[in-house]
Amino acid sequence: MTILTALADHYDRLANQGEVPTFGYSTERIAAAVVLATDGRVVELRDLRAADGKRLSPIPIAVPASFKRSGTVPRAFFLWDNTKLVFGIGAAKKAEEEAAPSAGGIAAYPAHHGAFRARHQELLAGTDDPGLLALLRFVEAPPLDPQLLPSWWRRDLPDQNCVFQLHGDETAPGRPRFVHDRPAARRIWEAAADASAKTARCLASGRFGPIAKLHPAVKGVWGAQTSGASLVSFNQDAFESYGHVQGDNAPVGEATAFAYGTTLNHLLARGSRNRLQIGDASVVFWAHAASGDSVAAAAATEAEDMFALVMNPPPPNDAAEAAKLRDRLTAVVSGHAPAGALAAIDRSARFHILALSPNAARLSVRFWLESSFGEVLDRLAQHHRDLAIEPPPAPVWKQNPSVELLVRETALQERADNVLPHLAGEVLRAVLTGAAYPQSLLAGVIGRIRAGEDVNGLKAAICKAVLNRAARNADKTEMVLMSLSTTLKDPAYRLGRLFAVLENIQRAALGRLNASIRDRYYGAASATPATVFPLLLRGSNHHLSVLHKDTAKRGLAVWFETEIGEILKPLDPALPRHLNLEQQGRFAVGYYHQRAARKTDADAGADEAPGDDTQSTETAEG
Amino acid sequence: MQEERAKLLRGYRMRYGLKIHVYGDFACFTRPEMKAERVSYDVLTPSAARGILEAIHWKPAIRWVVDRIHVLRPIRFTSIRRNEVGSKIAVANVRKAMKSGDIDGLVLDSAADRQQRAALVLRDVGYVIEAHFEMTNRAGPEDTPTKHAAMAARRAAQGQCFHRPCLGTREFPAEFRLVESLPPSELPEADRDRDLGWMLLDIDHADDARSLFFRAIMKNGVIEVPHPRAAEVRS
Repeated sequence: MTILTALADHYDRLANQGEVPTFGYSTERIAAAVVLATDGRVVELRDLRAADGKRLSPIPIAVPASFKRSGTVPRAFFLWDNTKLVFGIGAAKKAEEEAAPSAGGIAAYPAHHGAFRARHQELLAGTDDPGLLALLRFVEAPPLDPQLLPSWWRRDLPDQNCVFQLHGDETAPGRPRFVHDRPAARRIWEAAADASAKTARCLASGRFGPIAKLHPAVKGVWGAQTSGASLVSFNQDAFESYGHVQGDNAPVGEATAFAYGTTLNHLLARGSRNRLQIGDASVVFWAHAASGDSVAAAAATEAEDMFALVMNPPPPNDAAEAAKLRDRLTAVVSGHAPAGALAAIDRSARFHILALSPNAARLSVRFWLESSFGEVLDRLAQHHRDLAIEPPPAPVWKQNPSVELLVRETALQERADNVLPHLAGEVLRAVLTGAAYPQSLLAGVIGRIRAGEDVNGLKAAICKAVLNRAARNADKTEMVLMSLSTTLKDPAYRLGRLFAVLENIQRAALGRLNASIRDRYYGAASATPATVFPLLLRGSNHHLSVLHKDTAKRGLAVWFETEIGEILKPLDPALPRHLNLEQQGRFAVGYYHQRAARKTDADAGADEAPGDDTQSTETAEG
Repeated sequence: MQEERAKLLRGYRMRYGLKIHVYGDFACFTRPEMKAERVSYDVLTPSAARGILEAIHWKPAIRWVVDRIHVLRPIRFTSIRRNEVGSKIAVANVRKAMKSGDIDGLVLDSAADRQQRAALVLRDVGYVIEAHFEMTNRAGPEDTPTKHAAMAARRAAQGQCFHRPCLGTREFPAEFRLVESLPPSELPEADRDRDLGWMLLDIDHADDARSLFFRAIMKNGVIEVPHPRAAEVRS
């Protein structure tokens, strides 16, 4: 199935549930309603905005469909538009403002107002509906003068969208009926549909019909231009073929184009349950349910919620919630259905995941997956098993870190802006299709570690996951385990363990320092062990002699010495001269595993100090 | 009568048909609706298959018709981002230059006119194309089906081609071999039956470069491709 076909199918279900506007209407954010008297005078300007946190923001209303307005010739929407066209007043452009400063940064747009007037005079000619007549008289009045604004004008109004209302026209007290909702207006709008389009077979639905010339704009993709970007566009010569222009290059029926555009806008809307942000990719997901089948629709909603929960676990507010969340997620990870939630999930429901990336006015598809929900859950479970590491990353997230957090570990200062552009899509692909993780994920994490960031649980988990999946795909048996393994013979892993032991020795002997061997030598030790480790081992002898002098810590010193001996025994005396990326990953995992290991009670002479030190370091940094 | 005709056609196809195994590292059979930021179809399109065959052997006397596409490797995608040129030189400008004999205005600065485009392409693809050819009305007296069949088979067996066949776009070259029987399929059992939706069949240059689509359904790893003149494509 194709992307457009799947989106258009989803539209049917949404339209059935009444969540999307019908053909010919679109949902736009409207700030104000211009209340008109029957003679066309403006009675008042009603503010429709709703509180959104601290600010007031425009509310979404279904209005006659907007279309893309590119170029300089103004084209008006029907019965609504922004103040440039409705009043002829808008915010002054920066260049004009500098040349001739005007009052309050407002300029006149006579051409736009003229376009609005012309369109409405053309469409509303011969109407006798009082609301439409009031509007007609309003547009025939001259546009407002920026120097002489009337009393009802508000300073924050320029460039906001407005709809119209006849004074006193309400469906119920307090619920206004706008002019575009009046039956006469609806009739005029439906009759005005453009009948000049060519007919051809639609490539998404297979039906013959009029072909869309320009495809709908998709708003809500992070990083794309705010007026909307296009999934299907031919905005440069190089994209057109065989002499076709615009939409003829890819015949998609108008109804299908409207359906997929509306669905995508609905899924990407702010506050939608069906979207995630991973790096620069806006990910939308939905489960397929035949329209009209409410049982299937309920199962589909449940599946979508479960996916959102696993991909982006919300931070729990208290311990009880945390426990509940952990149970649900463990159930997904282990694949067992607990009583309750998972039992209701239909594993055979078709699940779709689409990741879109912005490129100015266009959208590129980063990832598209269509498979059964059960398979998606299995892959997520596999991903979490690959990621599991002992000790677990930090008490705060005993549940699974989201893909967004994984990807941010590779970024400078863990900011989303600094994530490599393709990484998010490739990691998502690896997680959801079971393919190998991208090498750039490992490279990014190792780069951050070498730059001086601490090897925290998440970085070690990522290294382990990348290495293990690569080894499994290549059918190699020697894999890095979840917890410390004293039998693994891989030299890089053992060297990582050795480095952790040497760091522990230094801390036991000298206490906390401004710059431990980790700060000074980690990078060199993990990249060129042959040059660094002899130096470190020599230094550790001094630290061990300090420990030996203290009778209380003598047992600890002996234990450290046996550890070093045990680690070095299977290694070749000539240490590797240099470790490649994969081996540096093992080094990091070995370091992480060993750092948390403490002298067990079986060894004589309990000395909790280094152990406690390690533990407190863990919780402070984890 | 119908049966005899069908048997005749089958025989014709068997004698004058070819099986070519094509494979490569990357492929991009671009969807028409996602051309700016390329997204590939899941499998080889009949139009791309025809392009590969025409690279191996073609004369105005014959027209290749693809019968079947076998998918041998699992469908895997990857995403790449490249900088490409944003505009074309207009045909009218070229004609003007030809008439006036002066190429002064005829320039495309590819360094300045760049667009960054991402592409979702296929990785590690392998297909077997089963096709036959038909004679066109530009066949001369010495153009016989036997002759062209022999030429095509010989060229495919020897690896001869006019230009290197490509998997969708020129930057993804195709390796090809003539085969008698199908190579073993690496497609997992669970993935062998899929509904691939509407797929581009071909471009009908006789009818104003109109695109023809067909419903591609993969059964046991095989996609049956209808003839471009068939009713299900045209109606």
